[in-house]
Amino acid sequence: MTELLVKNAYVIDPLRGINAETMDIAILDGKIVEEVSDAAEVIDARGMLTLPGGVDSHTHICGTKVNFGRYMSPEDMRAGRTPRQGPLHATSGYSVPTTYGNSYRYSVMGYTTLLEGAMAPLEARHTHEEFIYTPLQDTMANTLFDGNWAIMEAIRDGDVKRVAAIIGWTLRAVKGFAIKLTNPGGTEAWQWGKNVSCIRDPVPYFEVTPAEIIRSIVEANELLGLPHSVHLHCNNLGTPGNYSCTLGSLGLIPDLNKKRQTLYATHVQFHAYGGSDWKDFCSKSEPIARFVDMRPQIVMDMGQVMFGRTTTMTADGPMEFNLYRLHHEKWSNHDVELETGSGIIPVIYRRKNLVNSIMWAIGLELALLTKSPWQCLLTTDNPNGAPFVKYPEIIGLLMSKKYRDAEFATIHPDTEARVPLPAIERELDWYEIAVMTRAGQAKALGIQDLGKGHLGPGADADVAIYPLKIGEVDPSVDYQKVIDAFSRTEYTIKRGTVVARRGECLVDGSNATFWVRPKVSEAYDMGKDPDFIEKFDRYYTVRMRNYPVQEEYLNRNRCIETEARI
Amino acid sequence: MKVTLAMKPAARSFIPIEAESIVPKNFLDGTDLLVWRGNRELRLDEVFSVSVEGDADRAEDVEVVLSGETSRLKRVGEYMDGGRITILGNIGMHCGNFMSGGTIEVHGNADGWLGREMAGGTIVCRGDAADYCASGYRGGRKGMTGGTVEVFGRAGDFLAESIAGGTVTVHGNAGDMAGAEMRGGTLVVHGDCRRPGANMKEGSCYVYGTAQGMLPTFRKIGTVQHEGHTLIRFAGDIANRGKGNLFVKDYEYLD
Amino acid sequence: MIVKDAVCPFCGCLCDDIEVEVEDDRVVAVTNACELGTTKFMGEKRMKNPILRDGDRWRDITYDEAVQYAADMLLSAERPLLYGWSGTHGEAQCVGVHMAELVRGVIDNTSSVCHGPSILAIQEVGHPGCTLGVVKNRADLVIYWGSNPIDAHPRHLSRYTRYAEGFFLENAFRDRKVIVVDIRKTETANIADEFVRIKPGGDYAVLSALRAIVQGKTDTIPRTVAGVTREQLVRVANLCKNAKFGAVYFGLGLTMTRGKYKNIRNAIELVSELSRHTKFTISAMRGHYNVYGSNEVNTWMTGYPFGIDYSRGIAFYNPGETTAVDILARKECDAALIVGSDPAAHFPRKCLEHLADIPVVQLDPYPNATTAFCNVQIPVAVTGIDAEGTAYRMDGVPIRTRKVLSTDYLSDREVLSRMCALMQEALER
Repeated sequence: MTELLVKNAYVIDPLRGINAETMDIAILDGKIVEEVSDAAEVIDARGMLTLPGGVDSHTHICGTKVNFGRYMSPEDMRAGRTPRQGPLHATSGYSVPTTYGNSYRYSVMGYTTLLEGAMAPLEARHTHEEFIYTPLQDTMANTLFDGNWAIMEAIRDGDVKRVAAIIGWTLRAVKGFAIKLTNPGGTEAWQWGKNVSCIRDPVPYFEVTPAEIIRSIVEANELLGLPHSVHLHCNNLGTPGNYSCTLGSLGLIPDLNKKRQTLYATHVQFHAYGGSDWKDFCSKSEPIARFVDMRPQIVMDMGQVMFGRTTTMTADGPMEFNLYRLHHEKWSNHDVELETGSGIIPVIYRRKNLVNSIMWAIGLELALLTKSPWQCLLTTDNPNGAPFVKYPEIIGLLMSKKYRDAEFATIHPDTEARVPLPAIERELDWYEIAVMTRAGQAKALGIQDLGKGHLGPGADADVAIYPLKIGEVDPSVDYQKVIDAFSRTEYTIKRGTVVARRGECLVDGSNATFWVRPKVSEAYDMGKDPDFIEKFDRYYTVRMRNYPVQEEYLNRNRCIETEARI
Repeated sequence: MKVTLAMKPAARSFIPIEAESIVPKNFLDGTDLLVWRGNRELRLDEVFSVSVEGDADRAEDVEVVLSGETSRLKRVGEYMDGGRITILGNIGMHCGNFMSGGTIEVHGNADGWLGREMAGGTIVCRGDAADYCASGYRGGRKGMTGGTVEVFGRAGDFLAESIAGGTVTVHGNAGDMAGAEMRGGTLVVHGDCRRPGANMKEGSCYVYGTAQGMLPTFRKIGTVQHEGHTLIRFAGDIANRGKGNLFVKDYEYLD
Repeated sequence: MIVKDAVCPFCGCLCDDIEVEVEDDRVVAVTNACELGTTKFMGEKRMKNPILRDGDRWRDITYDEAVQYAADMLLSAERPLLYGWSGTHGEAQCVGVHMAELVRGVIDNTSSVCHGPSILAIQEVGHPGCTLGVVKNRADLVIYWGSNPIDAHPRHLSRYTRYAEGFFLENAFRDRKVIVVDIRKTETANIADEFVRIKPGGDYAVLSALRAIVQGKTDTIPRTVAGVTREQLVRVANLCKNAKFGAVYFGLGLTMTRGKYKNIRNAIELVSELSRHTKFTISAMRGHYNVYGSNEVNTWMTGYPFGIDYSRGIAFYNPGETTAVDILARKECDAALIVGSDPAAHFPRKCLEHLADIPVVQLDPYPNATTAFCNVQIPVAVTGIDAEGTAYRMDGVPIRTRKVLSTDYLSDREVLSRMCALMQEALER
């Protein structure tokens, strides 16, 4: 039995409606409890800002594509190299750090839970292997279904229950957490070197449209009773004028779930572009934010771009090829049989570049124009918009008009005419930042009932204490202090253990992996479906028995059983 | 100020020594420096007999002279920005990495990656330079971006790979793939070399001898006079939509 | 007992449809595997227990003694080399990286003598690739360049290309064209629709010429390039451009010949160029069943796929300097731990001379060429036969190998974990 008491914590805990109250947090064996004995170890937070551990609901940190980003970038590894020290392993890398590098840096910033944004089912084992070496965060994986043959066939046949059954079988087999659609239909078309232009464009051969894929899978998601909603990377990422396609996609979504959104639209910055080509490229953050304001069934994340060097990586293979043709930098692509694909290229976002400057503004605008912080979460789509170590700067920008103006003065001068940002006065407050970096993320992922994103009794004791007294700092002026505090916690507590202290990680840790197992009726068990089995054996190059990820790959196994309605 | 470092004979002499601390400006604060033999950190005077004559206030006035069996001494002059290093014998890999100013003179041969990613200053090698002289690093970063490298002997393979600026001159022959991925700067080979300018984008490559295994993707333009040589001018590498200039006295295709 | 869907621990194809018949803890029959795989499953005579060189003789020692010997050797070394790793499971490779970090040594795998150049090329220009099933189901053009699958990857043709059925191909055998490019007429060339014979050392020039032709700059190209006529080059370029889905598979004939990684870079740039016209992919024919896994493990743990030098605490990577062959040839290490490979069978003589001069410990189930250079050899279970664990197929698909029989041998992971724990204790003291 280990007890810990955090005294004098100045707590913001939005999921419990707590906004800046001084309180003690009692921890017993990794969980938050009402009280602990006098024997408990005591940490005096001395009135410092105390939040639930950070949750990142969309980041790329583990798996085939991330590792290929590392593999192809020895130049990236020249930065961020640290030696082995005590229990800590050596790290390397800046935009695509090693697993230990990711884990330690996230921990220092107070993050304790991460969702890997894209896992190809066939290569799921790889993601889980890397999770094991991401010791200081609990992890979960979005599982890619955007180009799944069996699902597209079921959609063509109008059989949503079968769609749900295939997803259920796959999630259970690959230990996935949620459904990810990346450029639905486009990744299959890309295996012919083609793409789909928007949601009404049929996928070659399968003759289903992205709109049909999105709608059927959203319905299937609810039939399966999954904790998270469908997680959508819209078609047409990164092209001028794509905002109308984004609005069209969001418009497909009914409100089907009382507890959470029905659709999570990811890195919307990349999908909020106006103009007809790069010459008249401009921001369309306003119509997107207005649209989302009126629809509680939608939650999005920013996908903020920050200036500097990074590596872009996504399952959206055709988009990466278009980027490659623009930049002519190195380009990798990896199509996955019967399922999906991916692409990677390194990029540099430059202040002096007009398009990059507009992209930078759009992300901020989405966060500032969307009324409810629960509907626009803070991400960079790490590392696509920027490495996650930039989050504190983004917090600074959202909390300070002065900082935004100072930055705005350094970017391409023509930006002003193309974006609404300079006219936006809103400055987010501490509570809103807490929503956008943990409470909202946990709610959107549907893991608040599993003890994530809040500090209520029974919750996992994941706590971030930042070296900052909010009564003494005016974020709109002292933004540098805000950035410094969010860059380096005073204490990061994970499952009741202090894992990081003032910028230094202290322990090796061991993560837990969340995954879902929908319970379906016998008739919808794809493991016994003759047609499914026959096609699997004919067209996959891995035997069906060798496909499922064994439980050996789960460090701490947090299986979520759901009652499916099929 | 003249700093003389005479390498002491060592028991496990085959383990290389990494000595990026041997840079003129570091001696302004004395000789209390550290070097590495494998995974062991050693004081400079455990590896060298150190003697100092005179004093100096700025790196430009410091000369470091290295003597003894220095062919396994790596990274000497890394990030050097002024002053002078004279190596009386051979020098190990990565001499003058990232150098931006000053002069390094090697009287013997230099091992691989001499002047890698060099940005300025001068390197003179009286003997031969091994592979990747004045090149870039793994991952296709720019090679040399400025300064001059002059090799009086021969150069190995991948000479001036990815060079983007500055001048490299080799008086002897060079190996295979001289000036590969060139994107700027000037490469001059007085002797022969193999497959010069492969995949080049920009820059100028001169071969006063014969280009063996000449690549088929250079377009012949005519002849030019250059420094007293009549050279055939090519443009390319067209496989890479390149706009580089390749001048050779003579060439042979692998046809 | 028959074990179904066993995974073959021989080559990078990692065939997972093998049936192994076991009787009395012995493999008696193997179905579906090629000859190479069958031989591996049937096994040879294993070493019974750890052995220590004692003058001119071998002395039997216990596992504890052997592990202690290795730990002491690594701890006292100034630049230990931890080499091999392609013939073991990922979980053992992870322990290997931790060990290299701990003793500040160099960790390298067999890619430095096989597809290391391919990795260097990928690091310069990237890699447009795909899983094997994408090719099987779609490709109407397959090019084997400097690779001879009939010899080295016998089931590659039947499972994925020439003789495989494909979802989008009505009659795969008829509709799928195969081109072989090589310096000699290999067995695979005999089953090709088109054979391109190149003079030795001419691959780079031919690839450059093809890139130019694909761009429509045929006029500049000389009448023949490295023995290939311009007409044939134009024909090949057209076959590529007109394919719906093309796939290039290259082997050591391209990576290990003159120009090495520049050859691969050129091939990748040809594929990137063709991607502007149609769908094209390129992939390496990886040799050892888990060499790609070793690259993957190293990459997520150290940032680099092979040739990682931890002497200075942080990871440093420079193939040509931090790779086993170069280190041994230059005598730059003072101890070696060999796991899952047989360097003495492949390395140049100069390397072996140094290997003979320094202490060497090997983990291997069988006596092999490297045994002669060892001070200690520790027999272990064979991954895929009496040990299970993760392996990565040549296309990056991870598969868990099955255990088809039970023995008392410890796995590589178990032996290395003990070694690592001993070293950690010693360092903490």
